[in-house]
Amino acid sequence: MTAATVEDRGPGRAWVAGAARLMRIELRRNAMIWMLPVAGVLFWALTYRRSMALAPLWNVRAMTMQSTTIAVFIPTVTGVAAWTGTREARRRLTDLLSVTSRSRWRRQLASWAATTAWALGCYLACVGVLYGVTATQATGSGPPWWPVLVGAASVPALAALGFTAGTVLPSRYTPPLVAMGAFLMFEAGLELVHGAGSPWQISPLVTGPYQLGDYEGLATFYPYLPDLPIAQVIFLVGLTLALLGILGLPSLAGGRWPRLVAAALTVTGVLSAATATALAGTGRLDPHGMIAIPALHNAADDRPVAYTPVCSHTAIPVCLHPAYRAYLGAVSTDLAPLLDELAGVPGAPARIAQTTTTYRWTDDGIDIATSAWTMHGTPPVYTIVLPNQAGEPALSVDQSANRVKGRIARDLVTAVVGGGSDPAQQAVTAGVLKGVRPVLGSEPPDLGRRITPNTPAAVAAQRFAALPVGTRHAWLVVHAADLKAGRITLDQLP
Amino acid sequence: MNIDITDVTRRFGRTRAVAGVTMSAGPGVLGLLGPNGAGKTSLLRMLATVIPPTSGRIRLLERDPGVAAQRRAIRRRLGYVPQHLGYYPSFTVVEFVEYFALLKEVPAAQVPRAVATAVERVGLGDKARARMRTLSGGMLRRAGIAQAIVNDPELLLLDEPTAGLDPEQRVAFRGLLRDLGQTATVVVSTHLVEDVGAACAQVALMDGGRIVFHGTPQELTARGEGRTAAGDAPLERGYSTVLAEARS
Repeated sequence: MTAATVEDRGPGRAWVAGAARLMRIELRRNAMIWMLPVAGVLFWALTYRRSMALAPLWNVRAMTMQSTTIAVFIPTVTGVAAWTGTREARRRLTDLLSVTSRSRWRRQLASWAATTAWALGCYLACVGVLYGVTATQATGSGPPWWPVLVGAASVPALAALGFTAGTVLPSRYTPPLVAMGAFLMFEAGLELVHGAGSPWQISPLVTGPYQLGDYEGLATFYPYLPDLPIAQVIFLVGLTLALLGILGLPSLAGGRWPRLVAAALTVTGVLSAATATALAGTGRLDPHGMIAIPALHNAADDRPVAYTPVCSHTAIPVCLHPAYRAYLGAVSTDLAPLLDELAGVPGAPARIAQTTTTYRWTDDGIDIATSAWTMHGTPPVYTIVLPNQAGEPALSVDQSANRVKGRIARDLVTAVVGGGSDPAQQAVTAGVLKGVRPVLGSEPPDLGRRITPNTPAAVAAQRFAALPVGTRHAWLVVHAADLKAGRITLDQLP
Repeated sequence: MNIDITDVTRRFGRTRAVAGVTMSAGPGVLGLLGPNGAGKTSLLRMLATVIPPTSGRIRLLERDPGVAAQRRAIRRRLGYVPQHLGYYPSFTVVEFVEYFALLKEVPAAQVPRAVATAVERVGLGDKARARMRTLSGGMLRRAGIAQAIVNDPELLLLDEPTAGLDPEQRVAFRGLLRDLGQTATVVVSTHLVEDVGAACAQVALMDGGRIVFHGTPQELTARGEGRTAAGDAPLERGYSTVLAEARS
């Protein structure tokens, strides 16, 4: 194909072909290539390893990914972009490049775009690995994409920040100073986040109520609220446009029209960023634990996500949200003897089901409430929450299960037998729990242990515990109501 | 005329680097001679549209560089090698020249051939794939010239282009200059009088920001005949004579 035929197809196509060749050179010689291994190692150390230590829940891993990955990319991308921005001055090419007909702004945009492209590719590859591995482990709802989008919008903004700083201050000291300064600025900005209505939560490092952290109760039973991510994306796009626009404002940057376009971009970017920040300042704590921004809120996101629970095959099934499938065995297997024994006994639940938590902002911080640990409905359903749902520190699956098994046992036995000081109740409680006590750990601390040795109650408890399970179960089905009402004496126990 | 400047001055603070230069030039090679601080580089930078004049009028390639659209049109047809050539060390020679070809808006389809031609013309064909950081000083200079001629310029401005070139390369470069001067206006700023004598059809001698002589090398040589001015060659004696007269 000759040059003439290409030109004949229009100046637009020729311009694109020229821009593509320029980008190819910039991509091939971009300094970000050298930083990719560093970013990869930092991602592995700070994001991947931490995520893999957390439960395989999409919400937890996605939110952790957003905050830690962006923290990794802040110094690396801003530093490299600043290095690229200082390139012309460092290499004494300012005069030579200033007399080329293509505007300085376009030239700079090509350098910025190449840096951004490499950084974005690296970011997406890192997220792809994390999401890919999580996809093989997680169950239930699919991956939340908003954290990925916020991170993807952060990369061009960070590159624009570094590049603009490098262009304005073209010194070899600028890149390290910008890298450190940006990292400290973003991290220090987190300290300014107070309450759900803080404009500082526009920082892409914030994934939800900052005081809450990445708890498992968020965005599982209800949708991942996109309100704050939308505001963050608007902010980041605005920041990018404003910074790139600033590059095109100087008279040397280009002709009249490019400068007008640059001015329009700058104004649009500043207004977008300011609007997004103001929107973040109107946020409120959603009852389901995320930040709702009234102007961006979609009422449809307040509806719970429909799901089919996963249940154990115990006589009293333990049912959890499918996202928590990993917890099911840990919670139900050890309790199986107890559940088998209590199934069908008056006062025992027909099912044990996981429920949600609600969140409310108070003067002391975020109050997490739950309707769990009670019986509801007919037939009765006993509700539970896992510790991490209730704002406790991140625990492993086994740690979480151990925390709830004892409480389930105590509440179920209390519901069936009664929790009073009646000797017969104590004897039956001790007998029923004997088979499962080793797996309950220290919970419950005193249930069924208040019997003094060598007393009639102790003897009755031993006698009851020695009965076959079927015999005990049959006796409880008939006598549980009287036992709970205190109408059974020790002598009446089998 | 490709260069038409009238009463051009350029100040840097209190220093007047160029003081009322009037000059015109068409196709051909013009040598710009003068001692250090004479204003050669400042004049070249104004002709290259790097800096605007403080006063006076400049027209290049029949256009006004003070107008953005016309300045852009001038730059498409301009080649420039500054005194201190910068470069990106990680670029190969081809990438360096291609980079400038694209920035000078050479049509994308013509870029590969234009780059190859420019690199061959400066004798760097065997180093086309070498990184810039691996080149010697003379090779870097030639790479700088290659980027200047890649857009087949009608106005070529070279500031000390032969610095760092060995004698063989300088001879080859003079041939290139004569070749380029067939169609383009080539302005060569240099200290090396023999380069001017060998390659330039016209010579301008600057001193104190002014042009104190403008003519052919033969006319400059004639100004030194019968004089006792310093110089080993007739052209050098002419140079010294004119400078002495200008300063007296």
